Amino acid sequence: MNDERGGRGELKAIGYYHALVPPEWIAAHGLRPRWIAPRSLGARSRVGTSRGVCPYAGACVDAALDGAASAGVVMTTTCDQMRYAAALVEQEGRVPCFLLNVPSTWRTAEARGLYREEVERLGRFLVRRGGTAPTPAGLARVMLEYDRARSALLADRERLAARQFAESLRNVGSADAAERWDRAEGCRRQATRVAGAPEGEERIALALVGGPFVAQDRAMLDRIERAGGRIVLNAADGGERTMPAPFDRARLEADPLGELTRAYFDSIPHVFRRPNDGLYAWLGRKLAEREVRGIVFRRYVWCDLWHAELDRLRRWSPVPVLDLDVADDDRSAGARATGRIEAFLETLRRAGRPAESRFSGETGKRIEPIGERPR
Amino acid sequence: MNRPARRITLEAWGRRYDELCAAGLCEPDYGGPLARHVDDGDLRLCKLAMDDSAAALRLWNFLLTEDDRLRRARAGGARIVGTMKDLGTVPVMAYSLDDVVAFYPDGAWWIPCVMERTAGLLEIADSLGIDDSFCPVRAMLGAFVNEAHFPIPDLLTCSVGATCDDLSAIAQRLEALGHPVVWWEIPHRRRPDAGEDAVRLPGRFVAPRRQVDFVRRQLEGVAAALADLAGQSLDDERLAAGIRRANRVRRLLDELRQLAFTAAACPLPALEMLIAEMLAIHFCSDPNESIAVLEALLGEVRRRVAAGVGILPAEAVRVFWVNPVADLRVMNLLEDAGGRVCGTEYLFCHALDPIPDDLAPMEALAQMALADPMVGSPADRASRICADARRFGAEAVVISRIPGASHCAMEGAVLGAAVRQRLGIPVVEIEVPPISDAVEPALRTRLEALIETAKDHGSR
Amino acid sequence: MICAGIDAGSRTIKVVLLDAGNSRVLASGIADQGIEQNDLALGLLGRLLDEQGLRRGDLRRVVATGYGRKLIDAADERITEITCHGRGVRHLLPETRSVVDIGGQDSKILRLNGDGNVADFVMNDRCAAGTGRFLEVVATRLGVRLSLLGELASRSRRPAAISSMCVVFAETEIIGLLASGTSPEDIAAGVQRAIASRVASMAGASLATPIAFTGGVALVPGMDRALESALGKPVAIAPDPQTTGALGAALLAAQRRPESR
Repeated sequence: MNDERGGRGELKAIGYYHALVPPEWIAAHGLRPRWIAPRSLGARSRVGTSRGVCPYAGACVDAALDGAASAGVVMTTTCDQMRYAAALVEQEGRVPCFLLNVPSTWRTAEARGLYREEVERLGRFLVRRGGTAPTPAGLARVMLEYDRARSALLADRERLAARQFAESLRNVGSADAAERWDRAEGCRRQATRVAGAPEGEERIALALVGGPFVAQDRAMLDRIERAGGRIVLNAADGGERTMPAPFDRARLEADPLGELTRAYFDSIPHVFRRPNDGLYAWLGRKLAEREVRGIVFRRYVWCDLWHAELDRLRRWSPVPVLDLDVADDDRSAGARATGRIEAFLETLRRAGRPAESRFSGETGKRIEPIGERPR
Repeated sequence: MNRPARRITLEAWGRRYDELCAAGLCEPDYGGPLARHVDDGDLRLCKLAMDDSAAALRLWNFLLTEDDRLRRARAGGARIVGTMKDLGTVPVMAYSLDDVVAFYPDGAWWIPCVMERTAGLLEIADSLGIDDSFCPVRAMLGAFVNEAHFPIPDLLTCSVGATCDDLSAIAQRLEALGHPVVWWEIPHRRRPDAGEDAVRLPGRFVAPRRQVDFVRRQLEGVAAALADLAGQSLDDERLAAGIRRANRVRRLLDELRQLAFTAAACPLPALEMLIAEMLAIHFCSDPNESIAVLEALLGEVRRRVAAGVGILPAEAVRVFWVNPVADLRVMNLLEDAGGRVCGTEYLFCHALDPIPDDLAPMEALAQMALADPMVGSPADRASRICADARRFGAEAVVISRIPGASHCAMEGAVLGAAVRQRLGIPVVEIEVPPISDAVEPALRTRLEALIETAKDHGSR
Repeated sequence: MICAGIDAGSRTIKVVLLDAGNSRVLASGIADQGIEQNDLALGLLGRLLDEQGLRRGDLRRVVATGYGRKLIDAADERITEITCHGRGVRHLLPETRSVVDIGGQDSKILRLNGDGNVADFVMNDRCAAGTGRFLEVVATRLGVRLSLLGELASRSRRPAAISSMCVVFAETEIIGLLASGTSPEDIAAGVQRAIASRVASMAGASLATPIAFTGGVALVPGMDRALESALGKPVAIAPDPQTTGALGAALLAAQRRPESR
């Protein structure tokens, strides 16, 4: 059974799977946004473990059809697998599904305009699902609540274990107005670190980069920190990278939907963007700021968009990159990932702390291959 | 002339060529014996069975000399545009300009097959981290690196959005390697909402007016880039002329398909039909010559149909083929197994429909681009496949998975289910790697089983 | 001072006894893996000590590595096989900058920095393609001993193209190739090429030379040449390529002072 069942207002819950779906918009319509972390059902999946199917996309189909959010689900066109997953959900006809067309191009007014139109169209879907179109003031108020909750979480990021931080972000995106602040506050009060590094060993500052996780795979964050890593930057989907920019108060008052568009569409760097050099620019800044010593690159086998960046990331990054490729039908993935993580941390400890940060914030466009030109 | 038509090997083509020459064969400047292409590295020709007509000879020579044409164009001062992922729209615009040649870099996906992996393109892609979990179009990356298969274009365009992750990721990698790309967006085609202005697109799909307008504006941006490259204005008059010429190609292809797919005896092999259809996308870098090649093929098919001459046994099972194959040999395999291709959907059926010539050119091109079957839902694609399969009297359907292609993983199940439910005919899904020799027994078994099932099905 | 390195791999257990004073290898041994890993490792260790006229009490420090390292009771410390392989190769071939290790169940590539420490690595421990397992499957199918596969491949005129990513499907391909008349020599060479290609793909950006080849697969004749062809660089087989991990573990054990236990 999917772990998103239960809770208040289930009949009016709208599920979503991607950070480019603004929960504020759903909440402002009087519905309960639920950022779903789908569970992999393995061989019981409707999509099954067919060769080539991304485990995350397959899990999203299963979650939607299992009634993860009874009023409807919002899926996105951010990758082929999710686009086709939405088609499967629609085909079943059991749960209303809205496919949000998120443009891949992003530097043009046209693309921004398309995203905004899509969000407005989503609004009409939400009304059909029992929501009420918000006034601009109502939308602005809800946006500020979310903004505050996210800011509070970010301020406490360093006190939180990586998994706790990631789950708290998800909680902020899955709550109604009354809960949002409570959850953030509750999280801060209970902030704990995962048990520290092995005795006598320093904790190594790491960045986590990659796509989304199925629910079971969140345990990897604990694994990394138990092994002596400290995830100082969660740049995976659902982590810090995919948080919207803070809202500008003046723009918010003048045009809240416009500000929502800017904070989400213009500001979230992502692998599917074309071009995606914004991702490297963001990574470069953050990695330097947090003095990251190693990058854990985590992807699902069959995720073409992230997989295609691995070699480029290795060439660009002045710190080592650990590839954690995970296949859904892989029962020993946990033990193997632990082995790789331990080896990676060992390598970084032996290399020692660099004298200065080597990240320059160079974007992907000016990457030069390390060593010789490919044959 | 009621000479029997046959599929023959490359070796037999040597003798056939001599016969044709002796009979006064007239060839364009790119003509000649097919064996010379093997000397250039196109080893797969030795394993293919090819149609024995002069028209087929011209088609093969046209296909296998595209690189020469592109290099001559470059040497002659033409500007070269690589139109990635675009299945039939931007080349129409490019060829509306003078001294501009467009080609389809994605077509490099066949080089590992044709050269039997001797070109090393996939290995180059491997070295860049684009391994065999990606679609064989990764060979394109190798071709850009070693520059041995086409000149580096002066301008690269690529459609993204509701297209294909493999190509998008590979094109992004290409850009990161220093090849600037003009990206243009194609949104996921959806059904219009209630009350929304709708447009009926060529090929029967319907889309919201706002989506057509969006794509039109995107194409206007591409047009501006093309015009800038060429130093010419790409006005409606030029575009209309380009559309008319593209439509000549499309109409010839349409007639060829109608005739070949509906004839009682199959007049042209599936392999030559596949190559002919690909001309609709990019004209093999010469639209005028494409027209001549297609006219010759059509002439041959007309003669054969009129004479009742077929290339295959009359009882060959009529098979509708979905998706292009990475190994051309597999098209022979179907016919060896007792089938004949009676209809196709190679992911670009919209490029076979005539571009509306009663609309403003950019509006027409935008509608055409949005009519791409891959841009909408698989259910939409399934609808068209079922309609066409029914129209052509298909007795069975083959869905060919492209190894590593991100859309194939889930799409095949949707398409297969639709065909079974609506048409009630047998469907088989196969996966075809660039060199299928090692899996040929398995592929043959599946195709033969499909043929046997179709024969027993009772639809005959 | 005597130190020991135990590499509890997925297919075999390797042990190296080292004179820590002069870093000289006193003895080494290999045993098949089994369910009782700890007992098997201790048994092998005990035999090697006996052969040298030594006892367990003569050991100052033991480091365990490999997949089963956490199950080795006798270990004073556990270090991953990445670090141990790097250390072992550095001892044997000090100029090495890249290590390609292909074992029975996994393959890895290590990049060593100027100091000989591991700077970066990539691993394939998820997929049998690109590992010794693939060779074993092929040898079985072709009806030859694994040790003779290389010789068979050396007689190939045109290596077959193996397209499958998965060794299970590749086995089907091999059956198909045999059925279509492809010679066993060409199949064997094709498989070697496929493994080398897979490893080269893992390597991505070009590897710095010199490149050392370790792991059991390095002992299969012709694999070094296949690797050289795929990488486009010369490759040197490390001496005793199966025991570099255990050697590295023993060297790391020797590096630690007794009071740091």
